[in-house]
Amino acid sequence: MKRIYIVLGLIAALAALAVTVGTVRYLVSGEYRPPIRSDAAEPAPREKAIEDIAAAKALADAGKPYVDAEYRRIGGIPSRLLVWIPAQLHLLFAAFVLAVPLFVLIIEAIGYFSGDMRYDRLAYDFAKLMSVSFSLTATFGAFMTFMLVILYPKFMNMMFEVFNLTFLPYVLLFFAEAAFLYTYYYGWGKFHPLVHLGLGLGLNLVGTAIMFIANAWVSFMTSPAGVSESGALISVWDAVTNFTWIPINVHRLIANVAFGGSVAAAYAAWQYLGAKSDQERAHYDWAGYIGNIIAVAAFLPLPFAGYWLASEYYGYNQALGIMMMGGGLRWLFIIQAVLIGMIFLGANFYLWVGMGRVAGSEKRGHPAIKYLLAVIAICFAVWATPRSIISTASEVRAMGGSSHPVLGYLGVMSAKNTAVNILILATFISFVLYLRSGKTPTVPWAKLGDRLQALILAGAAGYVLFLGVRGYFVEASVRINYSVYMVGAVLTAMALSFLINLLVLQRAMLKSAPRWGTMPAYSQYVLIFIAVSFTWLMGLMGFVRSALRQHWHIYGIMRDNSPDAFTPTLGYATQVVSFIVLLFFVLIGFVFWLASLSGKAHAADEHAVELPVAEGVAETP
Amino acid sequence: MKLRLPVGVNVAVLIVVTTAFYTYVGQLVPQAEIQPPEEVIIRKETTTEQLIAIGEKLAHGKGLCLTCHTIGQSGALRYPDLSGIGSRAGQRIEGLSDIEYLAQSLYQPDSYVVAGFNPGMPPIHKSPIGLTDDQILAVMAWLQSMGGTPTVTLQTTHAFRGGGDGS
Repeated sequence: MKRIYIVLGLIAALAALAVTVGTVRYLVSGEYRPPIRSDAAEPAPREKAIEDIAAAKALADAGKPYVDAEYRRIGGIPSRLLVWIPAQLHLLFAAFVLAVPLFVLIIEAIGYFSGDMRYDRLAYDFAKLMSVSFSLTATFGAFMTFMLVILYPKFMNMMFEVFNLTFLPYVLLFFAEAAFLYTYYYGWGKFHPLVHLGLGLGLNLVGTAIMFIANAWVSFMTSPAGVSESGALISVWDAVTNFTWIPINVHRLIANVAFGGSVAAAYAAWQYLGAKSDQERAHYDWAGYIGNIIAVAAFLPLPFAGYWLASEYYGYNQALGIMMMGGGLRWLFIIQAVLIGMIFLGANFYLWVGMGRVAGSEKRGHPAIKYLLAVIAICFAVWATPRSIISTASEVRAMGGSSHPVLGYLGVMSAKNTAVNILILATFISFVLYLRSGKTPTVPWAKLGDRLQALILAGAAGYVLFLGVRGYFVEASVRINYSVYMVGAVLTAMALSFLINLLVLQRAMLKSAPRWGTMPAYSQYVLIFIAVSFTWLMGLMGFVRSALRQHWHIYGIMRDNSPDAFTPTLGYATQVVSFIVLLFFVLIGFVFWLASLSGKAHAADEHAVELPVAEGVAETP
Repeated sequence: MKLRLPVGVNVAVLIVVTTAFYTYVGQLVPQAEIQPPEEVIIRKETTTEQLIAIGEKLAHGKGLCLTCHTIGQSGALRYPDLSGIGSRAGQRIEGLSDIEYLAQSLYQPDSYVVAGFNPGMPPIHKSPIGLTDDQILAVMAWLQSMGGTPTVTLQTTHAFRGGGDGS
């Protein structure tokens, strides 16, 4: 049978060849041929025409003037996409590669100073993700830069003109980061621990400095300073320290840690799901828990940093702020509210399921959980309520405007600020409950501490609610300060409550130790879900930061005159963000796979101390 | 028999489904492209009535006025409502006519801030808004038309024209 196919294949190939040859012969025979003329005749018209065309082209080429291109295109591909996709992937990997060393260093330091080598192994486990991610960051950075230089030469000329002094330090710092990173990673266990910690510190300082320089370029595009109205450079320092530089630095630093923690937790979850032994499962359960705690801890102050950044946009130019929160991009923040709500729900759910690690508490759970869930759901709903709603003309008439007569009041900042602050407090309470599960305080003032904690948290929640309601009745100039008071109250309450909790739990009696490795599989999928949501959120916020400038490359200084000068619809933007997120997870999956190949037989494992598994007993790491 | 899919497949499905869900949410919100503002050309013979129409168009578009300000709303507003501005303009600052007051509000918005509101409105003759003097006259005519008697023409003069300091 197989031979018949081979013979038939050969026949088909010969037939195809014959058809091709025949077609070519036919086409050649149909070509124009000059008529046969006498030998004395002039050159045939066709040859003469070809010569004339060639001569004309040579003449035109020789005299072609050089013109500085304002824009270029690559085929029919929209330039926006050619920059957007590599830029966002660069940002995602850069965020990851800046965040991981930060918490790796902290975990390693805890291990060194406490003498608990489990932390060293955990730090090394996360550090394995750094080197390939660093390469990918550089690759996408180069890709993005090439695209910008090729597609937007005039804009890049201005950026080079303004920031030329910053590029050399940037490159040198990049080399330094590579040196620190590879020495830190490959030198694990080969230096004195303090020297190794010093390398980690150097890596973090250099990485942060790189980010600060890049942030100067990005923030300048939205809130330019240090240049004249036509864009002529006046002061590089003023251009660097422009209006939104510091808030972007702070916002990105915190967001990077939250994002990095969530991706590291997803890595641990992935390893947990594929673990072959109880010991491995216990280790990755703990690693996922630590990654999630890092993500949540950084996520709690993130809305405050975001609010600060947004208020700086307002401060720089009211039209920018309004465009973002009340203008063409306002619906983007409804999508953002859905994302953040899902992340909060996921993080709380993971903490609640995590209480099941303590024997006996898995069946009933903490009685406060149902109330916390209700509070989170209500806050989520308020945050995601738009001021105006999509409605038909008859619906608008029936409502008496584009806002719903009742729900419309929940769509304003007073309600949203209240919701997000209460949401943060609720998540913090979940975390405190998790820390307390399975422990009985032994300090004599434990009850007083509990009451004090409850009073502080309830007081903060009450104060936030009071300001939220009062915000509807005061003038804008007064109301705008309320958000600062709310943030201050919530941050202070969390700091005080955490401190009291720490003191109350000193020398606490363990009812039973957490049994690492006993988390149900779905809890690990929640960790992956949180990481995907974080990544998507980063992508969406990347879009809004850029879209805010609308038809300006550099806001108010250099107008975008390209075919891509318009801001696309949110639907289109979310499709691109999704594509980028999927691409990121394909690549980060590759990073995870490489990390899992390298680590199994490393020296750090030799130091590994076994974690208590299902039947074991030990202290909470 | 219970079917158990490999972990990798479960994770891939979870990532795709989560991403698809957020993409779907993105399709539920209103979809509008934000186009660069249209350039408005004002001819010399334009009448006051025509200026009002042009001013309204500018207020909605290139001038960005209605990005912040409202018309006919009350309560805890973030920016002053513009309804009735035409009748109020002449009485805001002693010694300033409605035209001078409106011109000052547009060229030097922080010179006078309505009680209860914060300063911060950008001067609209400068970038990024960058209206021309004639376009600003059109906006002033439109503002006058809200509760007042429009008198602005292209021949109207004021101390702020050409970026003057008002003196």
